[in-house]
Amino acid sequence: MPIPDRLRQWMGRAYGQLYTRIPALARRWGRHFDALTSDDVPFSRLRAPLHRCRLAFITTGGVHLRTQPPYRMDDSHGDPSFRAIPATTPAEQLMITHDYYDHRDAERDMNILFPLALGRELVAQGALGGLGTSYSFMGHIEPPHVATLLRRTAPEVARRLRQEQIDAVLLTPA
Amino acid sequence: MIEAAGIPTVCVVGIREIAERVRPPRAVHLKWPFGHPLGEPGNRAQQLSVIHYALTALATVREPGAILDPGWRWRRETYREPDSWTLPV
Repeated sequence: MPIPDRLRQWMGRAYGQLYTRIPALARRWGRHFDALTSDDVPFSRLRAPLHRCRLAFITTGGVHLRTQPPYRMDDSHGDPSFRAIPATTPAEQLMITHDYYDHRDAERDMNILFPLALGRELVAQGALGGLGTSYSFMGHIEPPHVATLLRRTAPEVARRLRQEQIDAVLLTPA
Repeated sequence: MIEAAGIPTVCVVGIREIAERVRPPRAVHLKWPFGHPLGEPGNRAQQLSVIHYALTALATVREPGAILDPGWRWRRETYREPDSWTLPV
């Protein structure tokens, strides 16, 4: 018998909270997690010293501007959309919509997940050349939304990063 | 996809087994709780240490799919803010 959608959502949330609190359980989950696997690893070299590079951050922690629509939590299969977040965004204008992990700490200090403020400091002190538009996804994405992520939303973010001439990306999954 | 578009990436991962299967181009493994890839709230030295380590990996990793492990423990570790941000290319 298929598991009702609301029960699936509840179970996903309960496990997410549990895994945040008990890392050993999370690792056990990770060993059995049906991740997308890859044999072919693309690789690009950094072309300039970091003090001349424009960096962008990408997280899957469900971050968005308070003025942007939140990620969909009513679909137990997740939400493959992304939010573009300007480099100048103050931390107070950010929030997290992601029911599948405990993000209270990240909401107290966004630098543990999506370090725009620290990135701006590094630019100000000359360690980085600049900060470009950064992006967030909401990392709970299951079929059929994985196909949307792979075919539409992730390529769109890659295209935007190129268009903005970003030199390097730091990825922080939640 | 980003890397295939010519932009180098580095990914901070909490579960090594997932990184071994997904194989991001460069990964930094920290066995820390979910939702805390760069450390604890308010621990600026810890956060900057991870960012520094990850950005250094961008420049130094030559082997696609490398998973680096700084071995930093969650909490029982003393962090200092990185002295220099002049990183190798």
